[in-house]
Parts: sequence; C-alpha cells; structure tokens
Amino acid sequence: MDQFGARGKVLAGGTDVLSMMKQGLLAPEVLVSLKNLAELKQIYADPARGVVIGALATHNDLADSPVLQERYLSLCQTAHHMANNQVRNTGTAGGNLVNAVPSADLPPLLIALGAAVTLVSTGGSRTVKLEEFFTGPRMTVKKDNEILTEIVIPDNSFTGSTYHKFGLRRSGALAVVGVAVAVAMEGDLCRDVRIALGAVAPTPIRAFKAEEVLKNRPVTDQLLEEVGRCAAGESNPISDIRGSKEYRQDMIRVFTRRMLKKAISEGHV
Amino acid sequence: MSDNYAVIGKNLPKIDGRVKVTGQAKYTGDLKFPNMLVGKILTSPHAHARILSIDTAEAEKLPGVKAVITHEDVPGLKYGISPARWDENIFCIDKVRFVGDKVAAVAAIDEETVYKALKLIKVEYEVLPAVMDPIEAMREGAPQIHDEYPGNINTEVHQSFGDVEQAFAEAYHVRTDQFIGQRTYQSPIEPHSAISIWEGGKLTVYTSTQSPHYFQYYIAREFGLKMGDVRVIKTYVGGGFGGKLEPTGLEFAGAVLSRITGRPVKMFYDRHEMFAHNRGRHKQIMKVTTGVDKNGKILGVHADFIMDGGAYTSLGIATAYYAGAMLPLTYEFDNYKFDMLRVYTNLPACGAQRGHGAPQPRYAFECHLDMVAGDLGMDPMELRLRNARQPNTVTPNAFQVNSCELKACIEKGVEISGWKDKRGKLPPGRGIGGAVGSFVSGAGYPIYRTNLPHAAAIIKVHEDGTAATLYTGATDIGQGSDTILCQMAAEAMGYNYENMKIVSADTETTPHDFGAYASRQTLMSGAAVKQAGEEVKAQLLEIAAEMMDVAAEDLDCREAWIYRKANPDERKPFTEVAREFFVRRGPLVGRGSYTPPKLGGTFKGAPVGTSPAYSFCTQISEVEIDEETGEVDVKEVWDVHDCGKVINPALLHGQVHGALYMGMGESIWEEVVFDDKGKIVNGNLGEYRLPTALDMPKITSELVDSVEPAAPWGVKEVGEGATIPTMGCFANAIYDAMGVRIHSLPLSYEKVWRALKDKRKKEEKK
Repeated sequence: MDQFGARGKVLAGGTDVLSMMKQGLLAPEVLVSLKNLAELKQIYADPARGVVIGALATHNDLADSPVLQERYLSLCQTAHHMANNQVRNTGTAGGNLVNAVPSADLPPLLIALGAAVTLVSTGGSRTVKLEEFFTGPRMTVKKDNEILTEIVIPDNSFTGSTYHKFGLRRSGALAVVGVAVAVAMEGDLCRDVRIALGAVAPTPIRAFKAEEVLKNRPVTDQLLEEVGRCAAGESNPISDIRGSKEYRQDMIRVFTRRMLKKAISEGHV
Repeated sequence: MSDNYAVIGKNLPKIDGRVKVTGQAKYTGDLKFPNMLVGKILTSPHAHARILSIDTAEAEKLPGVKAVITHEDVPGLKYGISPARWDENIFCIDKVRFVGDKVAAVAAIDEETVYKALKLIKVEYEVLPAVMDPIEAMREGAPQIHDEYPGNINTEVHQSFGDVEQAFAEAYHVRTDQFIGQRTYQSPIEPHSAISIWEGGKLTVYTSTQSPHYFQYYIAREFGLKMGDVRVIKTYVGGGFGGKLEPTGLEFAGAVLSRITGRPVKMFYDRHEMFAHNRGRHKQIMKVTTGVDKNGKILGVHADFIMDGGAYTSLGIATAYYAGAMLPLTYEFDNYKFDMLRVYTNLPACGAQRGHGAPQPRYAFECHLDMVAGDLGMDPMELRLRNARQPNTVTPNAFQVNSCELKACIEKGVEISGWKDKRGKLPPGRGIGGAVGSFVSGAGYPIYRTNLPHAAAIIKVHEDGTAATLYTGATDIGQGSDTILCQMAAEAMGYNYENMKIVSADTETTPHDFGAYASRQTLMSGAAVKQAGEEVKAQLLEIAAEMMDVAAEDLDCREAWIYRKANPDERKPFTEVAREFFVRRGPLVGRGSYTPPKLGGTFKGAPVGTSPAYSFCTQISEVEIDEETGEVDVKEVWDVHDCGKVINPALLHGQVHGALYMGMGESIWEEVVFDDKGKIVNGNLGEYRLPTALDMPKITSELVDSVEPAAPWGVKEVGEGATIPTMGCFANAIYDAMGVRIHSLPLSYEKVWRALKDKRKKEEKK
C-alpha cells in the first residue's frame, strides 16, 4: 500500500468495494487482496489485551465464534442480523469499519464496548480507539498506506450489552437507526454505561448526556424513558429515503430505552 | 362431466424444474454467438429537455466501437403497445421527456468499451421546466410534455351506468373517501435483455419477453419487414409481471446495430435501467363514493380517479379503463359511474403490473367499504356477503359472469381465519382485516385490433408414439404454462405427461398465441391445446378401430392405452397405434385454436375488462403493530380462491404465494421514489425494498369448488387475481389493530407511526 498510495485499494470481502466499482463510484488502479492472510481471520481471547477480532473475520465468523458467543453474544447477534446470508459469508468485520458508512451495524456496539483498532503500515503500527476512528461518511483517520488488521475489545466491567438495527425489512435492510448500549450494573444502579448510535449523524456517535442521566440512579422504566428522550435530543439525523429526521429521533428514544432494558436485565444479548 | 382425470388436477413436477435448479436453463443473457457485440443505450440525464445537438464523433473513434446510432439512423415511426397512442420513438428526436429517455446507442466488442463510448457521446440539451405530479401537470401553464396532448391529458374516461345521482339521493348513507396509491416496479429477478441478429433480409431476436407475438408485430411494423421475416424466440424468462410485454427499445436498437455491423448484438438493462425503463404500476389518486341502504346493500358507486402515467402511454390506456372496470365485478349494484384522467408527467412511463390497474382501486374500495360498514355498525365481511356477486349475472358495465363462488370464498375465509373470534377482539396491537377481488381469465380482445384467434396449438406425435411434442406460442415466464399445457395436452390425447415435450414461444416454429398477460393462458391457450389433443386422439381412435375391428366411437384412450369402453381389457398401446398411423397416413398431428366469443357492451371502452371467465377470491390477514415504531408484522394470511378447475394444485398455490408476496411488498414496503429533478432515488434492490423470505408470513391457500362452463375443463385464472385484495386486506387489518386508517400506499412503518401519533394527540386534546 506504501507503493500505491491512493491509487490502490485493499480488497477483503469485496461486498462494498466491488459494488462501488461496478457503479463507477470507485476506480482504483490496483486492488490489493488480503485473502491469503489467514492470521487476520482469527477471533480469540488474549489475556493481556482482551478479545481480538481479526479484520478478515466475516460477519458469519463473528456470529459463529465460540469466544464471542461466550463473552459478547450481543456481537454475534449483531453480525447475524447484518445484510443477508450471502453478504455475511463474504463481508468482513474490518471492511464494515473502514468503509465508514454511517448506518453500519458493527461500529455502534464496538464503540459501546470500548473497542480499538490496530492500523498497520510499513512504518509500524498504531492503536486508535474506534470512537475516534470515524471522521465523516466514508472517512476515517486511516491513511492510504495503512491496513486495519484487528479489532480489540479490552476487558471491562460491563455486565450487559446489546444492539438493535431498526430496519424496514427483516433481511437486507440498512438501519433507519442503530442503537447499541453497554451497561455495568451493580444491583439496580448503573455504574457505567455507554450508548452509541448509528445512522443518525455523519459518524456513529456517543450519547454522552443520556449516559450521564442514567449513571448511579436506580433504574426505573421512567428513568429509561428519560434517557431515551435525552439520546434522541443528542442525535442529529437527516431525512432520507429510509425515514424522516423526526421519525429517526423518535426511534432513538424508543430503542435506547428498549435496548437499555434488555442489556440491564439480560446481559450480553 | 367426470372428475376422473388421469393427468390434470395432479401435482406433477414442473417440466423445466430440473434444468432451472441445476443452472442448465439458458436465459437470454447467458447466450453467446460467434462475433457477438455488446450494445448499450445512452439515456437522458434530464427530466425534460430539448435536444440541441448530438455529437458521436469521439465515441466512434474509440477503438473497439463498431457502431454508434441516434434517431438519424433508425426509423422515425412512432410506436407503442397501445395503438390508440403511439407516442414513443426508438430514440428521442426533438426532446427528452424523463430521466432515462433513450437518446443513442453504441455497439462495441465488449462491455467496458461500450461504457467508455457512451461517455464520449456529447449531447447538448436545453433544459425545460419539468412536472412530476399529475395534478400539477393538468394546471394551466404546466410544461407541455407532448404537443399532441394539451393539458397533458393522455387518456380520459367517463362511463356511467344506471343513475348514480338518483341512487345516492335515495341512499340511507352516502360516504366519500380518498386514497392514494404509489409507483411500484415489477422487479423481475432477470433483467431485460435481447440478442438481435439481422442477416440478409431476416431479423432474429432472442429475448426475455412475455409475448413474442407483440414483439414480432411491432418490430416488423417499425422496420417495414414482413412478419415472416422477423423471428422472435423467447428463451427461459426470469419473471415478467407485466413489465416485459412490450418492446423495450433493446430489440429496436439491437436490430439496427446488428444491421449496420453485420454481427449479433446483445443488449441488456442493468437494475437501475430496469427501473428507468419501468412500465410498472401507475400511481392513482382515487376518490370513491358509495351509497348504501340501511342493511348495507350497495345502491350506487362513483369512482373518480386520476393516474400518473409518466412520459409515455405504454399500456396505460388499458390500465386507465381496467382501474374502474374491475370494481363492479365483486359486488352486485346497478348504478355505477367511473371517471378517470391518465396524465402525462416527466417520469418513467407506467404500464401493466400484475393485476393491471385494478389492485390500487381495489385497495381504495375495500378500505372504503370497511369504513361504510363501520358507519352502519356492521361486520365488514357481512357487508361483503350481502353484496357479493352471484353466478350467471351481468355487471353494470356489461361483463357476463358465469361461474362465481365469491360468497363461498368469503364464508370459507371467515371460517378458516377464525374471523368471528378475532375481529375487534384481538389483544392490543393485533388486528385482522379482509378484502375480496376478481380478475379476468384472459382479455376478451387483443391489444391491437385483429381477428386472429387468441391462441393456437399443434401437437405432433413422434413417429413411434413414444413422445409427443406440443408446439404453442404460449409463453412460460416462470409461472408454469409449459407444464400445465403439457398436462392438458396429455389429458386430451389420453397420453402420459412424462412423455410430453414442448416447444413454445418461437414465432417461426410455434403457432400464434398472444402471450403471457391478462392471466389468459390456462384458459385460452389451454382451450387450443385441448382441441389439438382431442384431434390427435380422434385420429388415433380411427386407426385403432381399423386395427381392432371395432367402431371408433366404442374406443377411448387414457394414459397411453387405447381400449374398448365396453371391455377395457381389450386394448392396444398408444405407441403401437401411433406407429401404425404414421405407416398408413403419415405424420400424426393435431391442431387447435381458440377465439373467445364476442363479449361486452357497445359503449366507449367496453372491451376492456371483458373475459370469458372471472376468478374470485377473499383474502384475510392478521397483523401485529408495534405501537411505538409503527412496524407492521404480518402474522398470517388466508387466501380462498374460486379459480375453476385446477390443473396443477402445487403450481396454483405457488401462484397464490407469489402474488401475496408481491401484494405484501406493494402494501407495506415498495415505492419507487424520485428526487425533485425526476431522478430515481432507489433504483436498486437495496433501497427498493422487496420483502424477503424472512418477511413472509404463514400462508393458507384454499379453494372452493367451481367449474367454469366457458373454459376447457372449467379452468379460470389465479396468477393476477391473488394480488388484487392484498393491499386492502392489510390496510383493514391495521385499522382493526390500531384504529388508524392509512389513506395512502405503501402502509409504511413511518406512516403508521405518524397516524398513531396524530391519534394520540387528538385523544389528548379531548
């Protein structure tokens, strides 16, 4: 990639790159395939770092991973409801991040879980918090000569997490809104929480104010509704073919409340 | 009539099932010919613009480009599928009328070169004001889309039967409601494609079509060729649903490119181009008024509609008439008025989509009747039962209805869905709704005026009797006509289905048939096939009579055995007699043709909607609504059909499932959306949301006993009729669940959410 710079493009699953090339939106001179880098396909628990997901793991690899099923079933569920089965067989976790589509499904939950990504170039490697990775629609801090190699979810105190893609059909739907939450419960008090929203801003966003509303107060339905309203206010969606701004904001309210309730009572689901 | 059939009425495997599931079936896009070129059409980026100049010089210079053509290289004769309004040119001459209008075409050695060449064609446009809305298009001072049609009125219908005003004056209750439909697209899984080969004076076109005959007719007319010098061959087709009935432009452009280059030219649309070419469902704005007496008996109906036709006529004249003509089929009333304006807009042309003009008006009417029933405090299915059409009646618009078991359909639907225990009684968020429908079993008149029979068939028995080939112009586009026509041929001949072969939809080798539209082939092509089979059988029995030394009338033939009726053990195999026939008399051939009787009234537009027979059905659906998000979860659907004698039950239920799938999509998810410049926003399968397998509910498809006297073996249609009630039944179910009425299609989650929000606001005010 050092050699080709902007003239080259990394090819992993190809579900995004190839369809953009077909539409004439992308015309790289060189495609650099990562297909044979088997080491980038693994999903494992590293005692020192946490759960590591290789960038080339497909969505179905995530859904079927025993490590994830044990630690973060929520991530398996998220992957399982992405796109359709054909795409899940080819599309990769790394691709879902580097393409930086605002409605992508993996970023919100990974952000909620505090994940970071490793970017590697001939000059070395660096770690970037996923939360700081996205800069705009289809824009990230990754340089043209860098390759995203892995996603790391550091060990944490979260007792529950979940994600809901609100789509307009049951398969092959892009998110109208995506809501991810991770909670650290102690009795009926929420000691820590992260709420990440997709498809309601140019990049996935955290609902910081909503998080503060929830922290260290006894959880009630009324409180969760208040958190939902707050999150809706923090979102800044556009009106497009999938939904109006007004509808999207209200869906943030509904699903923030519902997802919090789910993660609080059911754990990582 | 004995119901003891040997071949029909059975779930025999589809004749093309194996080649399709194994991938051996070749669709037009799969075919390759030596030296074949690839062609593409350049289309307009503007919704409405004058063409000032077209410069093809740069494109022609590109290595690999073999021909570039514009309107100057093709006949200027206007065409269209509706003879009353031929308003399309192969390529635009003076101006373009929608984003996607056809301007030029290129043939080159490969696809990549073609795309490069298209970019090198320079077209200078003077952009004109455009109009995307039919109401706006009719206003004074609106942009004129065709000079010949002032006010952008493409078609105007005013029909009146009985005295509607009088009926309303005498009615106990009169109610008016307005509903709006949406533009949808057929979205066949196989994109349109055509391979044209013009050699010497003969043009051969392999194509993905619903009607080789209409293609042949219009291609010959456009190029001044004799019909006999145009051969149209249908390959396997991956769905049509009305969108592949008329020439697409690919055949015309491909033919000229082939003539110029002397090479075969393959042309195709990609998914976005399919949406732009369109010919999908019209958007209709529908005002319905009904007057009823105290008991809910319908006294009169006024349907007042406007439809957005897009930039050209396509099949839209028929669509405009169908929209109103089909409403009185299901209920008996004498006073009916129908007004319709089909309006040109700067959007892709609309045409015939499954149910042709009827599903949206049916949605409006069935919602409206539920509201009327609500006003009267009646169960809506009870209101339908009280008005349901009886057999052997005539509609106010002069359609003769023979068999009709609509009442039985409603009763059975109510019973199997558990209607009485559910309607108004389900837990919050859950609801049940019903609607009925009816459709033609083939159009009484062809699209252009001709006295040709509507269908014809030839059966040739192999010389040793071990096979028989059915030659028919009938067009299998996936619905299974090849299968059921072979079943019918075998039944009529007294033969086995397993030994049947079929050659269909090739204008040079098969006899004439109008093709797959208006749900016509089971009845019409079937009638021709039955006659051909019976002619084979009669000839065989004559020879067998000589061989067995008995009278021919004492013999019969069944499952490939010819036997004495008085003593079935006295018998000879079909093969032996067929072979002997060939030895003594030459080829054993049977022929058949079908022309419907003269149907309908004499008023303007009377032929549209006539048919030898009509199907009837009831659909009931149960839905669950998320009261916070508006999400519609379809739990279960029940369909009860009166479709006459069934030839292949598995294929029939497959049609019901498929029609429901499409109807569900149009009800809740699908809509073609444009930006303010007339560009399609969602011309892809990602954002044009067809339902997926995961969205499909549990479906119960049931039948009621019915035999149609005007049809071979009593058959009727099913393929389109099952789409008719669907939108209405979902709208009514949503109302039962949540008490909100959605007045426009699709019944999207956001619309339901908004309606619920508005309802809560109103309740809070109280």
